Amino acid sequence: MTPFFQNKTNRVWFLLAAGFILFNIWNVIYNIPMVPDQHWAQKIFYVHVPSAWVGFLSYFIVMIAGIMFFVKGHDKWDDVGLAAAEIGTLFMALVLITGPIWATPIWGQPWIWEPRLTTTLILFLIYIGYFMMRSFGGHAERVRRYAAALGIIAFVDVPIIFVSVQFWAPEIQSHPQVEMASQPPGILIPFLLSLGIFTIIYTLMLKFRIHVIKIKNRNVADV
Amino acid sequence: MLSVSHLSKSFNYRPVLKDITFNLNASETIVIMGKNGAGKSTLLRILARIMACDSGEVLFQNIDMFKGVPNARKKLLYLGHAPAMYTALSAVENLELAMDLRESSVDQSIIRDHLDKFGLLDQADDPISIYSQGMLQRLKLTYAELADWDLLLIDEPFSGLDQDGILQMDDALTRWKLGFKSMCMVLHNRERAEQYGDRILHLDDGLILEE
Amino acid sequence: MFFTLLKKELFIEFRSREVTLSMLVFGLSIILAFAFTTNVSKVIVANYVPGMFWIMVLFVTVLGVHRSFAYEKEFDAFSMLISAPIDRGLIFVAKWISGFIFLTLMEILVAIPFFKFLLIDFPPDPFLAIGTTLLINLAIMAVASLVSGIAMRARLSEVLLPVLLFPLLSPVIISATKISAGIMAGDPFKLWQIWLLIILSIIVIFALVGYTLFDFITEE
Repeated sequence: MTPFFQNKTNRVWFLLAAGFILFNIWNVIYNIPMVPDQHWAQKIFYVHVPSAWVGFLSYFIVMIAGIMFFVKGHDKWDDVGLAAAEIGTLFMALVLITGPIWATPIWGQPWIWEPRLTTTLILFLIYIGYFMMRSFGGHAERVRRYAAALGIIAFVDVPIIFVSVQFWAPEIQSHPQVEMASQPPGILIPFLLSLGIFTIIYTLMLKFRIHVIKIKNRNVADV
Repeated sequence: MLSVSHLSKSFNYRPVLKDITFNLNASETIVIMGKNGAGKSTLLRILARIMACDSGEVLFQNIDMFKGVPNARKKLLYLGHAPAMYTALSAVENLELAMDLRESSVDQSIIRDHLDKFGLLDQADDPISIYSQGMLQRLKLTYAELADWDLLLIDEPFSGLDQDGILQMDDALTRWKLGFKSMCMVLHNRERAEQYGDRILHLDDGLILEE
Repeated sequence: MFFTLLKKELFIEFRSREVTLSMLVFGLSIILAFAFTTNVSKVIVANYVPGMFWIMVLFVTVLGVHRSFAYEKEFDAFSMLISAPIDRGLIFVAKWISGFIFLTLMEILVAIPFFKFLLIDFPPDPFLAIGTTLLINLAIMAVASLVSGIAMRARLSEVLLPVLLFPLLSPVIISATKISAGIMAGDPFKLWQIWLLIILSIIVIFALVGYTLFDFITEE
């Protein structure tokens, strides 16, 4: 298997993504106007919300990969599922870190059971279990079927979790995204840009991770 | 009757079965031999759809076993190392349940008659958790006598049997062979393999070699 | 065929009493622990009673559902089921419904000690309480049977089962607590109907998902 960066398209995308990241950081820190009543705290949204979007997208891909694995029975779908689960969990962790960073100055405390964050936390815990199953549940060929099933039911559970968490604490109704949409274009457009850049980075990461997992599996097989 | 093509199975990326392809014709008996850990039991369990394989195709009576309806397994019987019965239930109850699951319920009296034939009638109502190895083997034999099958997958039929049991097993296998039933069995004993097998397949390093 | 499978579950349980007995005894011990940790003051306990009840049910469910799949592995009995020419989705349905029956049975036996030991009054509308509890039991068991089916062949299944089950069940925990609290307080149905809706959707979704997935996950 050729190294990932020997492929010219991958190289180009990597350089582009690196450029985008740097631009995004610069843009967020120096360029975008402050939201008057939130000051610097609001800027974490340019990381927080795209991370959440990418995380949920990733878990959605885990579900699709799980379904495809059962339908087609091909190992490559397991690689996709595992890669998406790993990266998704990484971004979910980012969400859980950046959420309290924003909340501490704005709400006065790091955690107030905001529905989206709570849903993220629950999903994050489910996926910790997912990786526990992956790592010590048994031999790889057996565990991948259970992982596929788990990826499906975890995502199927998401809307139910979200609805129940939302009604559970109805007094907490501060949805960052909703506020974002009502911001002036000077803030909204860079926000959407950041969303797009995160999606590009995510796509590249997923591709790279699938590549690495394939090599790893093949090496283990050769031993 | 049974056609296996390009079956493969790994455990933690260590291939046990690499590319298994063979055919079993109607009223033929195949004996699979091979070293310990060569994957003989794994192969039988995959054919019975108890274990999942990584890739490959199995046609049984021209129906794809991995895609087909559950009914495709109807005329297949698998007898493995373990009894595959419930420890809390008695021999009669287990056989009744097993036959119900195969959608060919039989009367209790018939079950008792068969158990009597294999010397299990006295313990027929005891939970099978107290059965000895040989008794469990006889119980499996009773099951095979009761069930209506076209292909029997049997894993080391002689293990754990006493002299009497060996004779009974031998009698049953010979009878099935003469009755033009198809069987696929795992054996270790060369002599027996030649006695029952129309063909002997060697499983070695994940590949099938025909003698 | 479903009734053959259900009959088998109930009959084996009737013989061994492993599942119900362990659930019952564990449930009683949890009630004891609750009593000791709350000093059994009516004022303190009243607010937490619905939560306590469902926490107990949750722990007991893990034990019961684990046992109900563990005995399938003794003597490799499960291969009798999965090599049989039956729709494997029905195995899930049988495990689900039998688990529901065992859980309900356990709750009936444990209900009086629960209310009397913790010195609380019975709910004002017992029929409403029983009806909703049955639905919640169905929802809990649908998720638990599916997760247990996934975890049963895995190593350390006794660890993986609660680790996976509790977060997946969080909507059920929330809904069950809210429903019970509403009934205990005598709130009108309108105030807690949304929670019943969530419970119903979990029953439907997990029944369908479990029925479909079981064909793929039962094999070794």
